[in-house]
Amino acid sequence: MTDSTLDRVARATPPRVARRIRGLSDRAIAWIFVAPTIILLLAVNIFPLIWTIYLSFTNYRANRPNAEVEWVGLRNYQRILSDPEIWQTMQATAHFLFWTLFFQVLIGFALAWLINQKFRGNNLWTTIIVLPMMLSPAVVGNFWTFLYQPQIGIFNNIISFFSGADPTSFSMIGDVRLAPWSIVIVDTWMWTPFVMLICLAGLRSIPDSIYEAAECDRASKWRQFWTITVPMVLPFLMLAVLFRGIENFKMFDLVVQLTGGGPGSTTELTSINLKREAFEKWRTGYASAYAVILFVTVFGLASIYVKALNRVKNR
Amino acid sequence: MAEVRLSNVSKSFGTTHAVSEMDMTIAHGEFLVLLGPTGAGKTTTLRLIAGLEAPDMGDIRIDGRSVTRETPAQRDVAMVFQQYSLYPHMTVRENLAFPLRSPILRTPEEEVRRKVQQVAETLQIAHKLDNKATALSGGEMQRVSIGRALVRDPAIYLMDEPLSSLDAKLRSDLRVELKRIQAELGATLLYVTHDQIEAMTMATRIGVLDQGRLVQIGTPREIYENPVSLYVAGRLGQPRINVLPAGVFPGAPLGADRIALRPEHIRIGAGQPARVVRVEHLGDQTRLHLTLGDHALTTLADPHTPLETGDVLSIEPANALYFDATGARIV
Ligand SMILES: Nc1ncnc2c1ncn2[C@@H]1O[C@H](COP(=O)(O)OP(=O)(O)O)[C@@H](O)[C@H]1O
Ligand SMILES: [Mg+2]
Repeated sequence: MTDSTLDRVARATPPRVARRIRGLSDRAIAWIFVAPTIILLLAVNIFPLIWTIYLSFTNYRANRPNAEVEWVGLRNYQRILSDPEIWQTMQATAHFLFWTLFFQVLIGFALAWLINQKFRGNNLWTTIIVLPMMLSPAVVGNFWTFLYQPQIGIFNNIISFFSGADPTSFSMIGDVRLAPWSIVIVDTWMWTPFVMLICLAGLRSIPDSIYEAAECDRASKWRQFWTITVPMVLPFLMLAVLFRGIENFKMFDLVVQLTGGGPGSTTELTSINLKREAFEKWRTGYASAYAVILFVTVFGLASIYVKALNRVKNR
Repeated sequence: MAEVRLSNVSKSFGTTHAVSEMDMTIAHGEFLVLLGPTGAGKTTTLRLIAGLEAPDMGDIRIDGRSVTRETPAQRDVAMVFQQYSLYPHMTVRENLAFPLRSPILRTPEEEVRRKVQQVAETLQIAHKLDNKATALSGGEMQRVSIGRALVRDPAIYLMDEPLSSLDAKLRSDLRVELKRIQAELGATLLYVTHDQIEAMTMATRIGVLDQGRLVQIGTPREIYENPVSLYVAGRLGQPRINVLPAGVFPGAPLGADRIALRPEHIRIGAGQPARVVRVEHLGDQTRLHLTLGDHALTTLADPHTPLETGDVLSIEPANALYFDATGARIV
């Protein structure tokens, strides 16, 4: 038989349907195909966003659906922006963001560079290094609480081995000064492999012949690194930073499992704080305003960043 | 500028002998062209001299100094790569300036600007200086890649088929230009190509490569008039040399297996009868396709020849080349 799939489909289509489809323009058919996606997006993304914006101007409380909803104007926004507690969570988030990005870029790039030096078994190493990324954040948060245990935790014992300090004399999670670093360490441990993988893709995209040309042009290894490797990997690296930045801005599960925002509220990141306002205190209107502020912040920063990224790519 | 000497250099990749026992001296100020088909080992030879590949055997000397263990930077060679190898994230200007900015050279910025401008004008890419290297046509990339070598004053220029992706006009312009630059600088230049016209027009000497072996080296005229083998004879000359069994014409020397005739070796007017199959007017030459018995031959005719398809004429060899069964020349 010389029956193509297309022939069979054509034959299997009932004549009435076939006639109706044939009557449609290409444009109409295109719309039919994308419509389900658009409707789904409207339902689960756009509508809630608009609804949230509306709620942010009210004093609505989701646990009292029957209470009268009052329009409060910009009061929610005013209260949020003048609340020192919220500024503190912002600060905690900024600290977390900055240092996780800093370490992940530094270590991720260094690891990628090392793996890219063609040595035997580098594929095995890649697999090993990538493992943490494949775990569930909740699991990671949970088992790092054990590693951080002052008495039996491996982390404390390793630190004490190298520094001579008593492992029970400090608690990464319990100490106000150490807790912000405890979440930075775990996030770095978990997500550096991601940055490494993207950097590795960047490094592998540079053909050997470019280094050979540079070699003939009498560029030292040092100069090759700074004038070829770094600029050519930079767009990849910036992309990794964008992904990690957005992810960490809304970091929730890992930190909740690890420190629950404590001690006090030293590791209470904005997303945790927001969740408290929305689903523990049930101040839905207030939390909506909070969410809108965060959304605008992330969206604004990301847009600026993407512009910069494009500039780097088109350089 | 310097003299480069290869002694008994070999390089294999697995079971492929890319370069075999090569002995070659590129004299100071010489324009040496290596001619050979794809896979003959041309690129490998250049890479060995540049130091991008280490020889399995043999010695490479630049001005008498053995450089076999030196890095490309120490050897001070400038290379034009077959696949351009431009720095894609830099502009044309930055690409051209890159070698000059090497800390080894410490070129003053004023000088860098002047040289880049000058080279760009020579290669007709001055209007593209601020383009990104990736926003260029293949021919422009190739010119930038040539320019990146020409801004320097190295021990030797190594060029790997640098004109291959240019259009015919630009190619002939640049042939002349490259030859002029080389002569002006007194530069030592090793040029690799599979194009016989480039070899004939630019070379002070031609080296012919066959499967990694340097089979003959000499002036273009020597290679053309006195090829040591059938292989070399076939590399030069347009139309291609005609190869026939030696017995087709009387008077073959002892041991001759084949006779090879260039157009100038074919005398019309006496000898064997040949029939005209086709007359090709190419403008600068008129080609005559003949059959002699079962054998096809191509020769040149007067541009205003009255000959037409179907005409019969007599031809005989004049100072033709004879080769034995292995393809070696019989003198
Ligand atoms: N890096 C390599 N690995 C394996 N084989 C190679 C390599 N480089 C060249 N060769 C082989 O060596 C021979 C000569 O190659 P090359 O010098 O590139 O020829 P050319 O430049 O004359 O076309 C070819 O048969 C090619 O396949
Ligand atoms: Mg080649």
